[in-house]
Amino acid sequence: MSDRGLRAYRRLLRLFPARYRTEHGRALERLFLDTYAAWGRERGRHGAAFWLRVAWDALRGAAAEWLTTARESSHARASTGMRKEVAEMISSLVGDVRFALRQLARRPGLGVTVVVLMALGVAGNTAMFRIYNGLFLRPLPFAEPERLVDLDETAPAWDLEYVGIAYPDFVEWRAANRTFESMAVFTEGGGNLAGDGPPERVGYVSATHDLDDVLGLEPRLGRFFTAEEDHPDGPRVALLSGAFWERRFAADPAVLGSTLALDGRAVEIIGVLPPAADFVAEADIWFPLRERRESDSGWYLSGVGRLREGGTLEAAREDLLAVHKGMLPDRGVNEVTSPILASMRDRHLGAYRTSSAFIMGAVGIVLLLACANIAGLLFARSIARGPEIGIRLAMGAPRPRLVRQLLTESALLAVVGAAVGAVLGVWASDRLVARLAEQFPRWVTFDLDGRLVAFTVLLTAGSALLFGLAPALHAARQPAASLAGAGRSTSSFRHRRDLSLLVSGQVALALGLLVVGGLSTLDAYRVSRVEPGFATESVTTYRVQLPTARYTDDAARIAFVESYLDRLRALPGVEGATIASSLPLLGHWGWFYYVEDAPERSDDSNPVVLMRSVTPGYFDAMQVELVRGRAFDQRDGREGTPPVVIVNETFVRTHMSDGKDPIGRLIHTGGDDDPRLTVIGVSRDIKHYGLDEPMRPGVYQPLRQVPLDGFFVALRTSPSAPSPLAEARAVTAELDPELPIYADRTMKTVLERSLWARRATSWLIAAFSGVALLLAVAGLYGVISYAVSQRTREIGLRMALGARAEQVHRQVVREGLLVVAVGAIVGLLAALAMGGVVSGLLVQVSPTEPVVYVAVTLLLVAVASAANYLPARRAAATDPMGALRGE
Amino acid sequence: MIPRPMKPQWFHILLALGGRELHGYGIQRAVLDQTDDEMRLWPAMLYRSLATLEEEGLIARADAPADEPDDERRQYYRITPAGRLRLREETRLLARWVDAARDVEPI
Repeated sequence: MSDRGLRAYRRLLRLFPARYRTEHGRALERLFLDTYAAWGRERGRHGAAFWLRVAWDALRGAAAEWLTTARESSHARASTGMRKEVAEMISSLVGDVRFALRQLARRPGLGVTVVVLMALGVAGNTAMFRIYNGLFLRPLPFAEPERLVDLDETAPAWDLEYVGIAYPDFVEWRAANRTFESMAVFTEGGGNLAGDGPPERVGYVSATHDLDDVLGLEPRLGRFFTAEEDHPDGPRVALLSGAFWERRFAADPAVLGSTLALDGRAVEIIGVLPPAADFVAEADIWFPLRERRESDSGWYLSGVGRLREGGTLEAAREDLLAVHKGMLPDRGVNEVTSPILASMRDRHLGAYRTSSAFIMGAVGIVLLLACANIAGLLFARSIARGPEIGIRLAMGAPRPRLVRQLLTESALLAVVGAAVGAVLGVWASDRLVARLAEQFPRWVTFDLDGRLVAFTVLLTAGSALLFGLAPALHAARQPAASLAGAGRSTSSFRHRRDLSLLVSGQVALALGLLVVGGLSTLDAYRVSRVEPGFATESVTTYRVQLPTARYTDDAARIAFVESYLDRLRALPGVEGATIASSLPLLGHWGWFYYVEDAPERSDDSNPVVLMRSVTPGYFDAMQVELVRGRAFDQRDGREGTPPVVIVNETFVRTHMSDGKDPIGRLIHTGGDDDPRLTVIGVSRDIKHYGLDEPMRPGVYQPLRQVPLDGFFVALRTSPSAPSPLAEARAVTAELDPELPIYADRTMKTVLERSLWARRATSWLIAAFSGVALLLAVAGLYGVISYAVSQRTREIGLRMALGARAEQVHRQVVREGLLVVAVGAIVGLLAALAMGGVVSGLLVQVSPTEPVVYVAVTLLLVAVASAANYLPARRAAATDPMGALRGE
Repeated sequence: MIPRPMKPQWFHILLALGGRELHGYGIQRAVLDQTDDEMRLWPAMLYRSLATLEEEGLIARADAPADEPDDERRQYYRITPAGRLRLREETRLLARWVDAARDVEPI
């Protein structure tokens, strides 16, 4: 006997009214088990054939029981004389539903079409709203999340929107502000954890001791840091993330008080964090920041604050700005920097608002078009049902009752279609959601929730009203018992005009959407064709961090890097290898540079320069082209040689605008004693920040000149060679068995990931605009066919009077194209008018790009002509005698 | 309430109970046998049919026979005199139809 089978059946039984279940549930289960066993004896297995029958049986049974229950309760109420109207309503609703089912069963084609259209519209909306909801509507998983504010500093003069918070600024903000209940800063990092087994790379967060207050975090175990521990001389303590505690320590509570060996230092474990902490940053270990008040190690901290009860973001902005500028006498740099505050959501997801809004708009239009088509179908049907309704009116049926009856039919179709659509939508969005989750902060989740359900229900109700009300009112407005044929020609003209307007509207919406889809697709294509300026094929990258406890000085680090690189280059298949402070698309290290004998530039317009420390093989390994001069060689950066630098084209443009030859010029970092670096080459700009981002001025220095303890490794292999990662790992272990390598990725994946959001957006908008076009054209086909069928007599008459078939054909096509032309002009104008908004989606394409407008219009004309062709041919083939007699 | 002719499954349930008292699964088996495995009465609809027939007084609940293993979840049913009468009428009606068909097109 199968428990699984019984469990599945119990789920089916939940469909039944509770009262019925208590009464007959156990008997039904018994009977099911007998049936199950008998089926097993006869057929051997319980496949789809068995379960489909069981499910169908349960569904029918449940529906019947619900109907009975509803009828009984309405009878019961009626008999007591209480709430008689409600009782009557329920029983007449039951009647309406049954009648509607009968009507639909009589014309299953119509019902199926409406359900499919509705499902299409709802599926898109459910799927996209699920994403929109996760990004912008779902509350953050913290206590009173609406009071949380993301803190940072901005420096427009350095051409940087976010620079990070400097610790001295934070200390002053925290002490002097009047609008925040609490605030905290943190930074992320990584360390090498020694222990049993291979060395492990762990991520950590260093935070000030107030972070738990700001976020309202309660440790799962132990306690958070104290102010004393958040001090350079405090004891070294750490909290573990819940996931890390479970993975590494099997959730053993005895871990409290034990020590970790991280980067060669002992750290005491004092607590375990709740899952909500993961939402701030994905880290295994949490440390106190231990920053010194007076230490100024630059802008590198992320901040979060909790507003006082009832406080506004605006007031907090003014407050912090006043505090920040109040520090000016002692801290001149605060002239350039200012605090920048935003809601957590705006800071992390603000960039996605435009594209999300466009996608929601696109699915909204698809649903609208689906509803318009359904309305058209129901409209045509209500005309066909004119005689029946006329007779019912003549027999005394009240009009409101008729409208309700007709609305019940639309509602029934809407509900069935929406249910199918919602399931489809959730299913279709599952993969998308899995991809998306990697792109966003951890507190963004896309689980199904009440809001999604409410959205779908509202959408369904709205759609049912939208496509049901007009045809229902129309049907009920007609005169009682209009005799067949009476007044038909004038009313059918009006119907045709109404339907034509409907189709013109559809064409306008679809075309407008197509333009946006076309623009964003072209944009994504052009972005993907932008020359990156560096090797993207067959390049493997990973990171290594040398623990400063063991690699205590620059000499030791340089020695490691050089012997490491020699071994990596010797690996089979490796054609180029380099070690660098950052690689294209991976990392940023900004600094200020000044050029000697260059025109004076005012301090507030000095853009940050991307600084990279690289080994001599960099330009060869990453295939970055040099425009002038030479690459680094083995002598550069050694003791006794003059320090050298390679600048990029943008640097020449921004910093050497006097037009003198860059080679041989001296640049420095501003201090009088800072070394003067001789420019030995100019490199081609590369798309360091992504194919869709502008390049900054940049410089390269030899790694010997600027030694690193943490770096990226890039290995370029011959195209046919397998990934060198396993060998690289072995080489690393040979040199230092306690050194983990981490964050390994191919350059190609990095590039693709950087383009993914743009591609997905354009792909979605394009796909939905394609669906919109199909829907609009289907509506067009329906209306033209209807018009031709209504005018058979007129066409027959004209042909009898001598009109030729081509003339009839041409006239029908002309009328169809007129409807299209009206819609097309409106749609194109609307798209043009929206240009300003659309440009938010685009990087490489102007919102008025003529190619797109022409292509989209041609596509529409081609598809619309095809939709016109069939009805026109049918009209031209009209047999005049038959048509005239037919009336 | 019960139309003439009655639904086929009702007819077959009455027929199955004509010989002896049966529980749900027993009825399902008997109907399968009567119809050469053509008609399998699935649980929900079988219970619905039983409820209708019981409401109309054509069948009634019965105690489990002494010789059968007792399972409190199994409800036994028997046919009532009214049910037997109705079954006979129904059979006659069907027989008349079959005769009529034979007159027109011998089978």
